[in-house]
Amino acid sequence: MSTLQHTPDLSVNVRPGRRARYRLNLDARSIVFYAILIAFSLFFLFPLVWMAGTSLKSIEEVGRPQLSLLPEVPQWSNYGNLFADPSFYRAYVNSIFVVVVTLVGTVGSISFVAYAFARLEWRGRNLVFALMLGTLMLPAQATLVPQYVLFYNLGWIRTFNPITIPGFFAGGAAMIFLLRQFMVGIPKELDEAAMIDGANPLQTWWYIILPLSRPAIATITVFLFVGLWNNLINPLLYLQKAELFTMPVFVAGKFNLQESPIPWQTIMAASVTFVLPVLVIFMFTQRFFVQGIAATGGKEG
Amino acid sequence: MDVAAQARLDNLLWAAATVIFIAAGSVLLGLLARGGARLARLSDAEGRKIFWGVFFASPWIIGFFIFVVGPALASLLYSFTDYKLGDSMNFVGLDNYRELLLGEGAHGRRFAGAMYNSFYYAIIGVPLQILTALAMALLLNQALRGVRFFRLIFYLPVILAGGPAILLAWRYMLASNGGFINEAMSAAGNAFFLFDWLKRTFIFLVEGFNGFYSGIVRGDPIGPLKYFIPALIAVLFLSTMLRGEWSDSRRSRLLRVSEIVGAVLGMVLVARGLIALPIDPFLIVGIGLILAAGALSAHRNASPRAATAYLVSGIVLSVGAALMAIATPSAEDGSAFSALPYLLASALVAAVFAGALVASQARRASVLLIGLAAGSLAVLVHLSAGQFDQGQLGLIFQYLTFQSAIAQPGDLAYLQETFPQASLSAFWIWGGMIAFFGVLIALNGGNAKLQRWLIVGGTVVFALLAVNSLLDTLRYFSAFNDVAAAAGVQNYHFSLFRQATQVFPDSQRVPLWMSSELWSKPSLILITMWSSGAGMLIFLAALKGIPRVFYEAADVDGASRVQQFFKITLPLISPAMFYNIVIGVIAALQTFESIYILQTPTTQDSLASAAYFLFVRTFRQLAIGEGAAVSWILAAIIVFLTVLQFRYSRWVNYES
Repeated sequence: MSTLQHTPDLSVNVRPGRRARYRLNLDARSIVFYAILIAFSLFFLFPLVWMAGTSLKSIEEVGRPQLSLLPEVPQWSNYGNLFADPSFYRAYVNSIFVVVVTLVGTVGSISFVAYAFARLEWRGRNLVFALMLGTLMLPAQATLVPQYVLFYNLGWIRTFNPITIPGFFAGGAAMIFLLRQFMVGIPKELDEAAMIDGANPLQTWWYIILPLSRPAIATITVFLFVGLWNNLINPLLYLQKAELFTMPVFVAGKFNLQESPIPWQTIMAASVTFVLPVLVIFMFTQRFFVQGIAATGGKEG
Repeated sequence: MDVAAQARLDNLLWAAATVIFIAAGSVLLGLLARGGARLARLSDAEGRKIFWGVFFASPWIIGFFIFVVGPALASLLYSFTDYKLGDSMNFVGLDNYRELLLGEGAHGRRFAGAMYNSFYYAIIGVPLQILTALAMALLLNQALRGVRFFRLIFYLPVILAGGPAILLAWRYMLASNGGFINEAMSAAGNAFFLFDWLKRTFIFLVEGFNGFYSGIVRGDPIGPLKYFIPALIAVLFLSTMLRGEWSDSRRSRLLRVSEIVGAVLGMVLVARGLIALPIDPFLIVGIGLILAAGALSAHRNASPRAATAYLVSGIVLSVGAALMAIATPSAEDGSAFSALPYLLASALVAAVFAGALVASQARRASVLLIGLAAGSLAVLVHLSAGQFDQGQLGLIFQYLTFQSAIAQPGDLAYLQETFPQASLSAFWIWGGMIAFFGVLIALNGGNAKLQRWLIVGGTVVFALLAVNSLLDTLRYFSAFNDVAAAAGVQNYHFSLFRQATQVFPDSQRVPLWMSSELWSKPSLILITMWSSGAGMLIFLAALKGIPRVFYEAADVDGASRVQQFFKITLPLISPAMFYNIVIGVIAALQTFESIYILQTPTTQDSLASAAYFLFVRTFRQLAIGEGAAVSWILAAIIVFLTVLQFRYSRWVNYES
């Protein structure tokens, strides 16, 4: 019976060879566990399935009390109508644009800064590093108000700048820390060899450290992506103009209490298109998420 | 070109300009640093190293000043003004903080409501979230085929819950009229009577509890109930001590728990008490008592540095209080403000702490003990006179002899005024409790027999207090009921609670979720439980870290699975547990997206977290000054919790 509980390390890297240990032996105990696991999974997956099902229902069907998960007749026209809406396209393009620009700036500057903390020896490094870790404690709300005043005075309200530009200044101490920890593990001899060949730190960073840090960079990219894609508050505060809306604001704006009946099928169709990229990326890169959580304790972005 | 495309192009140009700005800034900062190195007569090689280091770190350094230091200073400045965007700025001193921390005025009351909501999420939501996460982690820790797949599913909600889409799906599912969840509940209830009964009990409990909570938030008087909570805590502590020998590990665990409770309580008291004008001079003595007990326990625990920290903070407190008393002007109604009681109280506290600080290690405990005794005596003298709610000593004797403390149960004005709002004014019971435990800690090891008697006696006294204050609470509530029935008044004193608990819900009733203030918070908690996968990963990592030999040894000894869970698993994952609790409380304060998506005009106030209040106040009503004060209060609480987390991350002593 002790084979069933407390097996060591099922975590991130289960090597294929070890899988042979877990045979599917269905005794009463494991059947109970599978039943509970499946019940939990239903709870976790249900809203997603409900969202997809509703997006294909007709407005009449949405209007009545209902228990059915699937539509009577799938209404693909819900999606047709959504795709025919130019404001949907605009919001999608805006979202992709904002996320890509911010990601390029953030990941680029973070990899730059992490290098200074991981690979270079300089006086004052420990002080600056401690300062950076200290900002981890500071909640985002602490600087939200004065930053708004700053951007207001810069005339940046109703532009994309307040959303994309701060990322270029290596935003996200947790991500710097994660990348730095990875870079520390790269063998020192590589830098030294490069130095002997006459490379300066900039060249070493670009030709040696960056290519070797690819797994960690992928982790922070994926992690930042989800946070940026989902981010509602910054676009809500700064965009303030329908033409500039990103998807979170667009989807949230689709819901309006004044409307009756509430067109849930349209809202859910927009939601499905919004969730899909996150879902796909998560499916393919989930092990990066686990590493990101380990570094940040679950706080996104 | 259309507006969006133009804006995107502009943004790209700004991004390019930013890159150039950062690059130039980096070179400049690097050169500056090298110049500094030269001035400090460092070698050229050292200077080059500094150049490259600063050069690479510069994007963060520049951003730190533009987006953190600058804004933080600006916001500190704003928080002392009445600044509104596009309006002039007037210095108003501590007014913003006073309004917020004391819940004065319309906005202060809404902020207090938001803090009550956050507290609700912390005490009800976080434990439920942690239980879900722990259950998931334990399930995934089984050696079953396919757990990796299930882990994927369990974690999925976390990444979805950050965005508005899935929250809207929840909102649709939670619709009170025809929503999936209610339809499913009704269908299950119709199919089988047990489910119906379960549903009705659930409705009864949720509405009763939330009705009660909203009464507290509204500031309805809770009467003698406020004495029940400290008394109950004292009984819990003492009964733990009574259970067999007071071993070292148990003692230090209790001390840590009480330190955390004391720290949180002390922070609330200091924040609320010191900002109020005029404050009660005995607050200074009370906080002095807490600090003295802390110093004593640290001293007994052989950690002189912690003891010194307590002593120094006691001196700082008393000096600060004395200065504040001197600086306080007369009240607006012309009555002169007398600084004398404050100076006396401060002098008393400062003398004790200074004495303990300069005394030798061996004498320190006795100085503190004398201080504790003197402080307690002063409190006792103060208690023997004075108003009822300030804790007249007679009340304690009444409760110890099974009498009711309510003199005129038929008089509405008496009921409302004798027991004002739910507040921390039951502080004297807390103070007495802390003094009592201080004495216990001081005696520890010195006189075992006396200590034993004190514990037994204390248990009896606090148990009597707890039982009788609870009985009196029932009398108090029914007195209100009678008065209300006689006067025909409906809407006061826990009216929602009365409505919810008068009749047991019938089969037709369904949960109202987002359309009622009694259900809005439970709805939000349901969604946070659904997305508690991050905590699950932390627990899972902790579970994997437990060596297998522990379980094998326990198996040999014949321990059952349940025993193994409580004696091995739970103690060993308690750091992860504590981490999850702190993260959960911080997240509860910062909840924004889900409230924004789920709120309706009627439930907005019952849902609002501190962060949501900040959003409404600053960005809807553009009150920058007050918003800045809110953000500083929020930041102070979060930094405090984080420090707590670091300090106590190993709060369980592993018995080696």
